[in-house]
Amino acid sequence: MIILRYVKLPSENFEEFFNSLKQWGEINAPVKQGNIYSFKKVDSLKEVSLDYTRTMLPPKKFFVKPRDELLKLKEGKWEESNGTKPVVLFGVHSCDIHGLQILDKVYLDEPVDIYYKKRRENSIIIGISCMPDEYCFCKSLGTDFAMTGFDLFLHELPDGYLVRVGSVKGHEIVWANEGVFEPISEEDLKYFREFEEKRANSFKRSLNKEGLADMLDLAFESPVWKKYEKICLGCGNCNMVCPTCRCYEVCDLWVNAYEGVRVRRYDSCFMESHGLVAGGHNFRPTRLDRFRHRYYCKSYFDPSAGFNCVGCGRCDEFCPAKIEHVKVLDEVREALK
Amino acid sequence: MSDNPYALEKAKVLRVYDLTETEKLFLFRFENSEIAENWTFKPGQFVQLTIPGVGEVPISICSSPMRKGFFELCIRRIGRVTTVIHRLKPGDTVLVRGPYGNGFPVDEWEGMDLLIIAAGLGTAPLRSVFLYAMDNRWKFGNITFINTARYGKELLFYKELEAIRDLAEAENVKIIQSVTRDKEWKGLKGRPQQFIVEANTNPKKTAVTVCGPPRMYRDVFETLINYGYRPENIYVTLERRMKCGIGKCGHCNVGTSTSWKYICKDGPVFGYFDIVSTPGLLD
Repeated sequence: MIILRYVKLPSENFEEFFNSLKQWGEINAPVKQGNIYSFKKVDSLKEVSLDYTRTMLPPKKFFVKPRDELLKLKEGKWEESNGTKPVVLFGVHSCDIHGLQILDKVYLDEPVDIYYKKRRENSIIIGISCMPDEYCFCKSLGTDFAMTGFDLFLHELPDGYLVRVGSVKGHEIVWANEGVFEPISEEDLKYFREFEEKRANSFKRSLNKEGLADMLDLAFESPVWKKYEKICLGCGNCNMVCPTCRCYEVCDLWVNAYEGVRVRRYDSCFMESHGLVAGGHNFRPTRLDRFRHRYYCKSYFDPSAGFNCVGCGRCDEFCPAKIEHVKVLDEVREALK
Repeated sequence: MSDNPYALEKAKVLRVYDLTETEKLFLFRFENSEIAENWTFKPGQFVQLTIPGVGEVPISICSSPMRKGFFELCIRRIGRVTTVIHRLKPGDTVLVRGPYGNGFPVDEWEGMDLLIIAAGLGTAPLRSVFLYAMDNRWKFGNITFINTARYGKELLFYKELEAIRDLAEAENVKIIQSVTRDKEWKGLKGRPQQFIVEANTNPKKTAVTVCGPPRMYRDVFETLINYGYRPENIYVTLERRMKCGIGKCGHCNVGTSTSWKYICKDGPVFGYFDIVSTPGLLD
C-alpha cells in the first residue's frame, strides 16, 4: 500500500518538471494529428495537447505492441527478442489507467507474460484529469477516478496542478524534483473538490450496470443481436481501439533465408478466422455470434476487478456504423422486459 | 524450462507410423535428456508444436503419462503446419512447449468404471486416457472403449485395438469399433451412442469421457443420461484455435457474461455442468 502524498505543481514550474522527466525515459504524450490524438514521442511541452479527449489507440500499444517480436530464429536456435526501453507516459486519463490494470490481470496472471511484465516495470505513468465529452461513460462503471496504477496524477487547478503520488517511483520523482513542488493549500483542495463535482455532473451517458452480467446471461437469444448483426460491418475497429481488448495472433515470418521471427499482432474477434479451427469448423460462424461474443467479453463481471469495459467511449467514436455500446446494452435490457 | 512461457524446447522425432491416409503417429523425445526423463503430463493435456519458420499448432498428447522418456502425437494433415509435420522423418527435430490445459481428473476416478467414447480424431486424446487406465488397471473397474469413424480406413488405432481385443476381454476391457458411413465395412456399423447399451460399465459409478466432432455431443449426452450415467461424471475434451496455450491470446475465450472460460487454461477438459452453464462451449 502506497501512502498517498499530495503536492502542488505551479504553472510556472510545469515546463521544468516536464523536462526533468526525460531522465526517467522517453516521454510519450498525446499529440494532435489531424482530427485525432495519438500518444507519441515528444521532445518539448509545445507539441503536447493536454486538453485532449481520447487518443485513437489506447496506451496498451506500449505494452502489447501492434506488432510484437517474441522470438528470433538465428543459426537454427530460437532466442528471446528483447529491446525494452524505459518510457514515460505523460497525460494518461483514468479510464486508460483502469484499462491497463485489466490487462495486468490477464498478462501478469500465472504464467506471467515476461514481455508485458518487463515493459510494465520499465514504464512511468503520469495521469491527468479530464472533462468528459459526449462519448464518455466511465463514471457509471466506476473508472472515472484512479486510486492505483499510476505514478503521478495531475489534477487541474487554476494556477497549476494538484499532484497525487501513487507509487514508490512517483515518490522518487517528487523527491528528485523537490524544488518545483509546493505544499498544497486549503484553497487548492477546495478547487479540486469543486472540479471533481463539476466533472461528475457533466457526464451525458451512463451505462446501467445493475445486474448487467445476469441480464446478458438471459439474453443469449435476444432479438437485439439480430438487429445489430445487420448494422455492424464487422471491421474490428472497436477491438483495435479498445483499451482492454488483447487478442493476438501469432505469425512466424522469415526475415531472410537464415533468420526468422515469431511475431504477435493484434487480432480481432470480428474476423471470421478468430473462431476457425483446422478442418474448417468455425465456432463463431456468423456475425451475430461474433458481435455477441464481444459484448459478453466486455461485460463479463470479474468479482476481483469488475467489468472488462472502462467506459472510454473509443468504440463508439471510431465505429464506422455508429453503433453505441451503451445503447446496445440498454436495448438488450429493454427487449428482455 | 525457463521463465519465458513462450520458450521452446527441442524434441527429436524417433518414429513415424502411418495410421490412415491423413493421420500419422509421431513419437518424440526431448533432446535435453533431463527434460526427456522428467517431463510429465496428465491424460487430456496438449502441447504446442512448432516447425521453425512455419508456425505453431496445439496437439493433444496421445501416449500414456506412465511411459516416460517419450511422448506420442497423432497428427492429421489438415493445414499449412501439419502438412509440413507430415514430411518429418525419424531424426528430424521440432520445437515443443507445454504441456498445457487441465487434463482429465484421473486421480478422482480411482475405483470407478470407465467409458470412453471417441469419434474421428477424438480417439487421439482419449487414447491417452485408455492407455493410462491400462497401465493402472487395478485402479479402475470395467472399461469400455467405443471407437468410431466415418469410414473403416479412417478408424484410428484400429489395428492396435484389435490386437489387444482378446487379451483385453479377459481383463474386463471391452473394445467396440464401428463405422457410421462405410457400406463395405465388414465390422460393426453405427453411431457411438448406439453402442452405449453394450458397454460393460455400471452407469452409477462410471467416469465417461467423450471426444469427437461438435455435432456428435448432444446425442451422446442424451443417450448417456437416458441410460442413467451420472452427469457429474461426464467429461469432454474440446478444441479451439489456441495461439498461446496459457490464457493470453483470447482466441479460445467462450461463454457469457457470468461464465467465461478459456478452453486452453480452464479446459480443454470440461465437465457436463460446465457445458450446460456456458453456452457456446460445444459448438
